[in-house]
Amino acid sequence: MSTSTRTKRVKKVRASSAEDPAMAKSPVSKFFGRLALAIVVIITLFPIYWMVRTAFSDNRAMFGEPLSLLPVDFTLGPIERVLGLATPDEAIAEGGSGASINFGLYMLNSIITATLITVFQIAFSAMAAYAFALLKWKGRDAVFNLFLIALMVPVIFTILPNFVLIKELGLLNTIIGIALPAMFMTPFAIFFLRQFFFGVNLSIIEAAVIDGASQWRIFSRIAVPLVWPQIITLALLQFIFYWNDYLWPLLVGTTEESKLITVGLGIFRSQTPAGNPDWAGLMAGALLAAIPIFVLILIFGKQIVGSIQSSGVK
Amino acid sequence: MAAKVSRDNQIVPAMLFLIPASIGFLAFFLWPTIRGIYLSFTDYNLLRDPTFIGFQNYIDIFNDAVFWRSMAVTFQYVFINVGLQTVIALALAVLMHRFTRSMIIRGVVVLPYLIANVIVALVWFWLADYSLGLINAVIDGIGLNKIGFFGSEAWAMPTIAFVNVWRHVGYTALLLFAGLQAIPRDVYEAAEVDGAGEFRVFRSVTLPLLRPILAFVLVVTVVGSFQIFDTIAVTTGGGPVDATRAINFYIFERAFERFDFGYASALAVILMILLATIALIQNRLLRANESDMER
Amino acid sequence: MTKALAGIAALAAVPLVLAGCSAGSTTTDGSVEIKYSLWDANQMPAYQQCADDFHAANPDITISIDQSGWEDYWQKINTGLVSGNSADVFTSHLAYYPEFVLNDQILPLDDYIAADGVDTSIYQDGLVDLWKSPEGVQYGLPKDFDTIALFYNQQLTDAAGVTAEQLGSLDWNPKDGGTYEDVIAHLTVDKSGVRGDEAGFDKNNVETYGIWFEASNAGALGDGQTQWSYLAAANGWEATDGPWGSSYNFDAPEFQETITWWHSLIEKGYMPSLAAQTGISWSDQLTAGSVALASNGSWMTGYVFGATTDSFTPAVAPTPTGPTGERASMFNGLADNIWAGTKHPEEAWEWVKYMGSLECQSVVADAAVVFPSIPEATDAAVEAFAANGVDVSAFTVQVDEGTTFLFPITDHKSDVNALMTPAMEAVMSGKEPVSSLTAVNDEINGLFK
Repeated sequence: MSTSTRTKRVKKVRASSAEDPAMAKSPVSKFFGRLALAIVVIITLFPIYWMVRTAFSDNRAMFGEPLSLLPVDFTLGPIERVLGLATPDEAIAEGGSGASINFGLYMLNSIITATLITVFQIAFSAMAAYAFALLKWKGRDAVFNLFLIALMVPVIFTILPNFVLIKELGLLNTIIGIALPAMFMTPFAIFFLRQFFFGVNLSIIEAAVIDGASQWRIFSRIAVPLVWPQIITLALLQFIFYWNDYLWPLLVGTTEESKLITVGLGIFRSQTPAGNPDWAGLMAGALLAAIPIFVLILIFGKQIVGSIQSSGVK
Repeated sequence: MAAKVSRDNQIVPAMLFLIPASIGFLAFFLWPTIRGIYLSFTDYNLLRDPTFIGFQNYIDIFNDAVFWRSMAVTFQYVFINVGLQTVIALALAVLMHRFTRSMIIRGVVVLPYLIANVIVALVWFWLADYSLGLINAVIDGIGLNKIGFFGSEAWAMPTIAFVNVWRHVGYTALLLFAGLQAIPRDVYEAAEVDGAGEFRVFRSVTLPLLRPILAFVLVVTVVGSFQIFDTIAVTTGGGPVDATRAINFYIFERAFERFDFGYASALAVILMILLATIALIQNRLLRANESDMER
Repeated sequence: MTKALAGIAALAAVPLVLAGCSAGSTTTDGSVEIKYSLWDANQMPAYQQCADDFHAANPDITISIDQSGWEDYWQKINTGLVSGNSADVFTSHLAYYPEFVLNDQILPLDDYIAADGVDTSIYQDGLVDLWKSPEGVQYGLPKDFDTIALFYNQQLTDAAGVTAEQLGSLDWNPKDGGTYEDVIAHLTVDKSGVRGDEAGFDKNNVETYGIWFEASNAGALGDGQTQWSYLAAANGWEATDGPWGSSYNFDAPEFQETITWWHSLIEKGYMPSLAAQTGISWSDQLTAGSVALASNGSWMTGYVFGATTDSFTPAVAPTPTGPTGERASMFNGLADNIWAGTKHPEEAWEWVKYMGSLECQSVVADAAVVFPSIPEATDAAVEAFAANGVDVSAFTVQVDEGTTFLFPITDHKSDVNALMTPAMEAVMSGKEPVSSLTAVNDEINGLFK
């Protein structure tokens, strides 16, 4: 591929299918490609539709018509239960539970926690990935492999000691206590960013070194902008991951002030041994909790595809 | 072109860059792991002080038929899950890369990942129910025999694997898509000038240039799917007859239901060693530490 | 870069502020806070009421209740105990509390009971003993109980011409299943509308099963609480050699012939196969008309009766009488344990004592969710159920007639379940013969050696 080694300036190109050479041109390929996409979209959407249908069904009547494609006895009750607008008695009467839920506060807690984790984790992981990919030092790969092993550490090893540590730090039932273990790094993020830093055109960095730029400046002004779309992708995926995290926040954040939305929605799952979930409330909760992240994807998603570095990364 | 970064040893800036990540690594990963390895040599029920018993847990595991069966079903799961997921995700990423720029499609594809996996498992548990599930209603409608997706030994693990493919395929596709975007556009221009067909473009342009990311994705998904837990916990609970008692589920059962934390730790150590071995082999085979993109 | 740093610093400040807010866990008025955990959200309003009443009577003690569902509950309790950060008082279960006793995690109550002169004879017979260790130490005051009965869809029994009287006087034996099997067979209907006891019944295409068994709960098959224990006991079987026993009887003929008959229902097409019933749980199947009859516990009454629809009219019948000439039902109940590490044992005891009192139990009775353990309150609960249009006599008849037997409490309970569950699944899926349980029984009894 040495024909394409012209050094280009880093610039942003607005992508559109007409001028985007990565897009297929042949009409036959286009037809089959889009057909395949359509099939994937349908298989993906059907169960989601089923959740929507269930979220608007009456929990008590639902299994009277288990195969109905439309909501059974259309009701906003489940949504009200999720938003905490129903009294415990109403909730129980509708097949929900008598526990209260403070939807707005839990959502806010989740937003703060997931943002906190994502911002710090990605910043620190990017620094580490830079050291593992673009700096040369003895023992680099060995240390990286050691970090990589963290990916394989089973949860049962970490959960109790980390809980005790957070307790010793006096951070139980605080948002910082929930976020702390994930804020410094994850082997996943380091590994991911390292692979992209490998692709950075070294001549650009070379030139910066000759110009006398510090490593911090090269990292923050050259390397990070070059992999920005990938950082955004990673940030979105990590945000979603921590948004959905359950066990750890369940143990650490038990007060109203520190309860995350996933934990709050736990009251819609089966409360007694071998009981039934509040199906409608559970689905309504899952969908409502997913809305903020979906919006986030639509906003930041543009950055994943919208700004494409022409050939800074090759 | 062979421009090389200065050969100077950059250990000082490297260490500075690694400070924050190292704090997290030492406090939240390395220390708990060392402690866990120690506990694997003890008899420990969580509520009393551990007593050192040497290799006894490991010897017991070697003679534990449930352990060997759980390894077998775990491998079955990983094989189906990773195989299916990687192929579909790769196809999907290429489709998104070559055939559409629609943000909506990208959003839709990742939708299942937005739903917590416990909920996803419950939704499919319902859709695949023998009597009340839509899938069996369709199967019955076209005149075939209904299938006990979660309840029969033959189907349970493949069903669980499929459910997780459904949830993670869009996620994996986005990771691969990020890799595709790092491929310079001019190589596609060149391929087009050469008149290469869709499959040829994929084989000789896309795939080789994607290799570092593909390697990353494979390592991460293999390691991740060995740790399958939630879907099993909310659906089959390890049954029927051990058919879905994957190793990580067995570890949890031993640790928190049977209060045999020492034994569970030994199982966890074995799993860790196995995963580390697999990951290092994968890394080597896939040459993940270098890029085909010339530097 | 400075701008970015300022941003990060601002972000970091947010949680610190939030942390500051929640740091003060002692109540502002200097009173003692007792943390209480429970799992059943349906009982939460009643216990919140108890807590408020208790606080009104004892202004210097505040109760804060933390509720989480069954699965999460034990994860939280265990983490709390291991890390020395448990709730002061928590609702306990017979499957778990022996482990806590063995490891000194919960406080014995005898001294408190003696000091305060609490009368433990006021509870329904036998319930107090469930919470007594093998050494005779009391660890809990029983607060409620549950029994087993047959839930059914009256529209389906009416259609089959089976009356409530018939259902109330069923008999069963392991040879031919008695009238119990007759009714189950008659209630089973295949796709073409042929009943299970009629010629031409197609057992491979069943529309409505006669009976459903609950296999969706890990451990449920192991003690058979809601599935087979009422039959085996009516056949004269006892699970162990007494309370806190050291040997199980899964090798006994009374047990094995019960299971043989039970499994034969699957072969005959009257009960769904193991493969067919791992999914949506039995009560929703009952609502949906997949099944006519299902045995389960009194704690499900509220859920089943709440699901009344155009095609589902719920009702309950008592379990059938067996070869012993009597019915049988497992008798189980909950109590509250006090964490050994609590800083306020006296106040925790006051709260436990209050929850076991008639005052609080009457509040619980009015909620019509469970049966309180004090007979007076039990009667109040029966009335509260009746006020909601639910006749629960099928559950209480077992207590009135003294046909209950206690949950088989032993050490190693979780290990026993871990061995029995897959073994029973193998039997019910037809993979292994019932006689295979003899070897499993030997393995189980080996745990106690």
